[in-house]
Amino acid sequence: MQSGNHSIAVFLTVVLAVVFNLMPYSGDWIVWKPNFLLLVVMGWVLYQPKEFGVYFAASFGLLADILLRMTLGHSVIVFALCVSVIVMVSRWAQYLSLLQRTFLVSLIIGVVGLLEASVFMLYDRPSAIEHLPMKILLSALAWPLIDRLIARSQRQRD
Amino acid sequence: MIVDSFTPWLKPIYSTADNLVRPLYWLANVPLRVQEWSASSVTPRSEIEVENQRLSKESLIYHGQLQRMSDLAAENLRLRRLLNATELLQDSVLVTEVIGVSANPLRHTLTIDRGTADGVFVGQPLLDAEGLMGQIIEVHKSHSAALLITDSSHALPVQVLRNGVRSIAEGTADYNLLSLKFVSPSADIREGDKLVSSGLGGLYPAGYPVGTVISIASEPGDSFLKIDVDPSAEIDRSRHLLLLYTSRDSGADATE
Repeated sequence: MQSGNHSIAVFLTVVLAVVFNLMPYSGDWIVWKPNFLLLVVMGWVLYQPKEFGVYFAASFGLLADILLRMTLGHSVIVFALCVSVIVMVSRWAQYLSLLQRTFLVSLIIGVVGLLEASVFMLYDRPSAIEHLPMKILLSALAWPLIDRLIARSQRQRD
Repeated sequence: MIVDSFTPWLKPIYSTADNLVRPLYWLANVPLRVQEWSASSVTPRSEIEVENQRLSKESLIYHGQLQRMSDLAAENLRLRRLLNATELLQDSVLVTEVIGVSANPLRHTLTIDRGTADGVFVGQPLLDAEGLMGQIIEVHKSHSAALLITDSSHALPVQVLRNGVRSIAEGTADYNLLSLKFVSPSADIREGDKLVSSGLGGLYPAGYPVGTVISIASEPGDSFLKIDVDPSAEIDRSRHLLLLYTSRDSGADATE
């Protein structure tokens, strides 16, 4: 029963993230919109590293590729890379405070974003690197809400 | 990634998956619909009356202009016939609403609420009240995906309204910027020049606003000018768009 509730919580947070990702906002700032699906996936892996891992992230990366109309595999790699770092530091991550977790997530998004932009620049394609700092900042602002949401469903499960 | 980049083999998978996630697009629109509904519900009667009067006046002005336009169109047609030139195509439009926007700054696409059931087809031009927005790249039963003119993979043949100088407007992955390609330093082009679609290539009909030249730079050693263009369409703002049917699009179920 608890496992069922847990799956529902994962499903609901993912649906919420997808809704925020797809919501047709308008304005110049939409290029800075955080990848909510990536944040939610990172959140679940951060709290449940034994249950969720790279394959979990990669499968949601596939969903992101379809939703964002990216080349199939692009988001799979981005999601897998971000989550790999979280899995690597998961032993210590559970002792981090909210602020430290926010910093960790922002750092991962920044490093992976830079890597992604470098690959695009290598092939002489627009990299949107100028939007990265604001994207990191907005991701950092959105993270505490996602963190609290996942932590709360986690507590309910325990 | 290689298979997806160079072959269309994965298109059926995309299509099926896109139909499966259709409810998510509906769900993503709920907050905006609620916001629109609440905004219209709480508007005072006096404000609605003022708005109604303004719209009535605007309608009257546009009707007047339209009469003049039809007169000019008929005259244009007569002159074209005298010159044995091709007749201008008669275009009709279908109103559509944006239901999803790609969150990725590297891929400028959006999803609209019209599909095969409404006669939408791949390659169909999409515009807003100000100018060309993009073209349809995927069609499903009740929704479609459009590639915007600002996407880095998009290019569109244009001409300067003032003198007909032709060029290619390419997307730059920036919602507020297009780039003109292959314009030689000797070409007669100035800042402030309006650009319209040239109709070359056959995808976009001729004469629709594309943008305005905002800067021209010439770097020593370069064979072509570096020209930046501000798109006419409100690419990152428009919510209600128009799907364009030209008279050559047979079987289109569109409204004038």
